[in-house]
Amino acid sequence: MINKIIMINTVTKNYNENNEFCSYQVTHVNSKVVTSVPLDEANTDYQAIQEWAAIDGNNIIDNGA
Amino acid sequence: MALTRIANIASTIPDDSIANVKMANIVQSKNILINGDMSVAQRSTSASSITSGGYHACDRWKEDMTSGGTWTISQSTTVPTGQGFATSLKMDCTTANGSLSANSELMVQQRLEGQNLQYLKKGTANAESTTLSFWVRSNKTGTYICELQDVDNTRQISKSYTISVADTWEKKTITFPGDTTGALDNNNARSLDCSFYLVAGSDLSSGTLSTTWTAKTDANRAVGQVNLADSTSNEWYITGVQLEAGDTASEFEFLPYGLNLERCLRYFYPIISISDTNNLNAFGYYYASGNIKIPIRLPTQMRTTPTLSQDVDTDALRFYRDATYDGLSGNFALDGNGTGRYLSIYNTTDASGTAGQAGQLYKYTPTQADSYIWLSAEL
Repeated sequence: MINKIIMINTVTKNYNENNEFCSYQVTHVNSKVVTSVPLDEANTDYQAIQEWAAIDGNNIIDNGA
Repeated sequence: MALTRIANIASTIPDDSIANVKMANIVQSKNILINGDMSVAQRSTSASSITSGGYHACDRWKEDMTSGGTWTISQSTTVPTGQGFATSLKMDCTTANGSLSANSELMVQQRLEGQNLQYLKKGTANAESTTLSFWVRSNKTGTYICELQDVDNTRQISKSYTISVADTWEKKTITFPGDTTGALDNNNARSLDCSFYLVAGSDLSSGTLSTTWTAKTDANRAVGQVNLADSTSNEWYITGVQLEAGDTASEFEFLPYGLNLERCLRYFYPIISISDTNNLNAFGYYYASGNIKIPIRLPTQMRTTPTLSQDVDTDALRFYRDATYDGLSGNFALDGNGTGRYLSIYNTTDASGTAGQAGQLYKYTPTQADSYIWLSAEL
């Protein structure tokens, strides 16, 4: 989990066609890989985002629907 | 007469039903671990320049890594002779770290769901012993550490084994006693880790090796572990890994490839693989002129809603529709719809079609061969 948190660069909320917040889009440090993370508490990437967001200075980007 | 009647009866039994009986028995696998023969490698058969943790080559096998050198991790065909194995997992050090940091670590591990382990009766007076058996080989002889970690109750136990002869396959068997403290949660979350250490800094090795189940103290987890990262000549192979209930090791349980793959698909499913070349990967449609939707039917119920992971070079994907195509460069996202067997992904960045048009998603190579889109529900 620590590795996952360290590797997060940015987190942005995704909205679907119904203007519902539906997933997170995540970019990673020193990597071209982009992940889309579901809103599922059992998903370990979702858990990592919550821990990352709890660290001072980290903010989830919300551009709205 | 009797033989004729048996033949007649046999001919009335559908082939599928015989296969199903066989599969039903096999599904009750004695091996707690998945892909112990390293036969499934959906992500890649070789990943180089690895310096951090993740799943890289053989399915279900995670490399947890911090300041432990640089590695090529691969599915190898170097195997113990005459034992029935075709593949192994190979760790090959490509940049050494001879002066470990306190927090240095490298371990090859498998993380397990608690709901699959209830029969071990952990945390009760009837807790089962477990026995770990495996074939291992390295140029670097000496002491290595295996560990079971109970993540639910922050407990662990470690045992050492010795690689006695360089560059020679050796079979090792380790029995861990049952733990009468700390029940494993009966759910789909990470409950138990089975780990093979290859590198351990002082944070993990400065105490006394914990050879009985106890509350986790990091300094006691990997005492005596050799530093496999101390030379670029170092390599380590493993295959035939089996963890089973009881205090004896039985013969390795070989599963049909398809069944082994199915067990792996619960945790990882590639929509588009690195190995795909110029082939159809999925169908989709234009939900709106700027929104391609791709419904995905999952091959099995995954552990949880998966993460979509993508590394797609510019225009490496093509969405063919209406006698033309759109070049796609990744930019897919999960749309939040679906059930345990279906989900939907969308792209609103590269799309420029007409609402209602259907199409086919292709991976276009050869120039962008390493592009992929994966779904992962790993622990």
